[in-house]
Amino acid sequence: MRERLFLYFVYVLLIGFALICFIPFWIVLINSFADEANIQTSGYQLFPTSFSLNAYSFLLSGKQVFRSYGVTLFVTIVGTTLGVIITASYAYVLSHPKVKYRHVLSFLTFFTMLFGAGLVGFYMLIANWLHLKDSIWALILPYLLNPFYAFILVSYFRSLPYELNEAATVDGANDMYIFFRIIWPVSLPVIATVALFYALQYWNDWYLSLLFIDNYRLHPLQIMIRQLISNLNAMSYVGGSQTDYNIMIPTFGMQLAIVCITIGPIVFVYPFVQKYFIKGMTLGSVKG
Amino acid sequence: MRSNKAGASGFIYEIVKNRYLYLLALPGMLFLLIFAYTPMLGHLLAFQNYRLSDGLFGSEWVGFKNFEFFFGNKDWLRVTWNTVFLNGLFLVFGIGTAVLLAVLLNEITNKWFKKTVQSFVFLPYFISWLVVSMMVQTVFSSSEGMLNQALTALGFQGVDWYLTPGVWPYILTFVYVWKMAGYNSIIFLASITGISSEYYECAKIEGASRMQQIIYITLPLLRPVIMIMTLLGIGRIFYGDFGMIYALVGDVGVLYPTTDVIDTFAYRALRQMGNFSMSSAIIVYQSSMGLITVILFNWLARRIDSDSRLF
Repeated sequence: MRERLFLYFVYVLLIGFALICFIPFWIVLINSFADEANIQTSGYQLFPTSFSLNAYSFLLSGKQVFRSYGVTLFVTIVGTTLGVIITASYAYVLSHPKVKYRHVLSFLTFFTMLFGAGLVGFYMLIANWLHLKDSIWALILPYLLNPFYAFILVSYFRSLPYELNEAATVDGANDMYIFFRIIWPVSLPVIATVALFYALQYWNDWYLSLLFIDNYRLHPLQIMIRQLISNLNAMSYVGGSQTDYNIMIPTFGMQLAIVCITIGPIVFVYPFVQKYFIKGMTLGSVKG
Repeated sequence: MRSNKAGASGFIYEIVKNRYLYLLALPGMLFLLIFAYTPMLGHLLAFQNYRLSDGLFGSEWVGFKNFEFFFGNKDWLRVTWNTVFLNGLFLVFGIGTAVLLAVLLNEITNKWFKKTVQSFVFLPYFISWLVVSMMVQTVFSSSEGMLNQALTALGFQGVDWYLTPGVWPYILTFVYVWKMAGYNSIIFLASITGISSEYYECAKIEGASRMQQIIYITLPLLRPVIMIMTLLGIGRIFYGDFGMIYALVGDVGVLYPTTDVIDTFAYRALRQMGNFSMSSAIIVYQSSMGLITVILFNWLARRIDSDSRLF
């Protein structure tokens, strides 16, 4: 009896946890379809009494949301592709027993996790030395190699049987061929995991654009959210064609709508990719 | 002399012999050189009166003057305290909740229910802090927020949350736990799954309840993992989460007394006041404190339990 009670208690707690995690998503989603006047008079509701697509039609009538979507997509796709290739090939070398200087390289990589360059040096590098201010590359280049992901891959490559390598060497294949043709395919699940981590980082990043992007044409979705939350002149930023001043601009609605548009793809692919993240987490906790 | 020469040719021999491997590593090495090591030159600015027109090597060297200015003002104490205090709260409640969540999930035998709950609690990890800040506004906004609606419905006076600095450390902690608990629970759940079932079978024969099994078997066996996670957290205790704090608090000056951390302080010194040298001094202070903490706690961990050390 007491054991039963305990189990009920566990169920109730977990349902509570799940609800608390879910409700903010629900509020944002359902209120993005609420009427602006409704939000203004009675605030955000769990179950709004009105329905309106006004926020979305305002947002989608302008150019900015499409521009921002393009920027975010480009940065995510190019950044993830380059990042994965660079990180995986670098990690392979760190894990390769033939490489004499792998320990030096490992240490130099690990050291950057302990002692960072900090904001000022980083800012000067991108803005003053590389002249990447207001360039889309400022949103891509700085994240191409994450030491943590590299070490996840190192520990995985180390676990592969060395015979894989030797057999190919006997056949006269060079190390680059071996890596891309033999090691890469058998490591695909882990590489996919790292790719998802990179994709998530690029999709969600707003730090780089906050520092280096002033040109609104290069604003990614995340900065668009920020602009809509803080910008008083939302209409001209969104770039809609409406000039009818009798229409109430759905300020709150647009903030919620842009959030939904931004997290939509993540929530949509989430059920399919969740297991890869869990795998990556458990791999990462293996000390290398 | 001879060994030197041998060393040099040994180096070249190694590079040539494994040229394809080093070629594979080249982009990564270039990346680290350019994006991780070159910016470390920025620390030099802390000892200069940096002017953009004079550049890094043309600016006047001023010794420790920037540090004197930084430490001569009470701000450094405030931001250091906020950073350490907030990170401490995040660490204790973050790990505590994650462990609780993992232990609870482990009690569930219904696979479907377990998976569904896990999906929900893991979801907040996937959204950016800016999105979270919008969600925080739907709850805490003084006129449209749901919390004030609930308060007025219950007959209380609504509170201007964004004008009340005292509550923000706790709001931030709640939000941090909300976003990260599911993610962090994965590691704990994985190590619980790794515990041999023999322990539990023995306990069951001895008549131990589920609660006793959790207290006397699961939690003690989780100790090493909890130690490592705590150490990782302590190692970063001087690094505020800029992405989080700046997204949630932003430029709301009223809230600075309790929410301004070293990172947001340095950011404002750089971007709003344009004071490169001042900002650099703050960061040198932070990096040094960070490095000392990591080394100190790693040394401590090695002494207590050599399996818990990080390196």
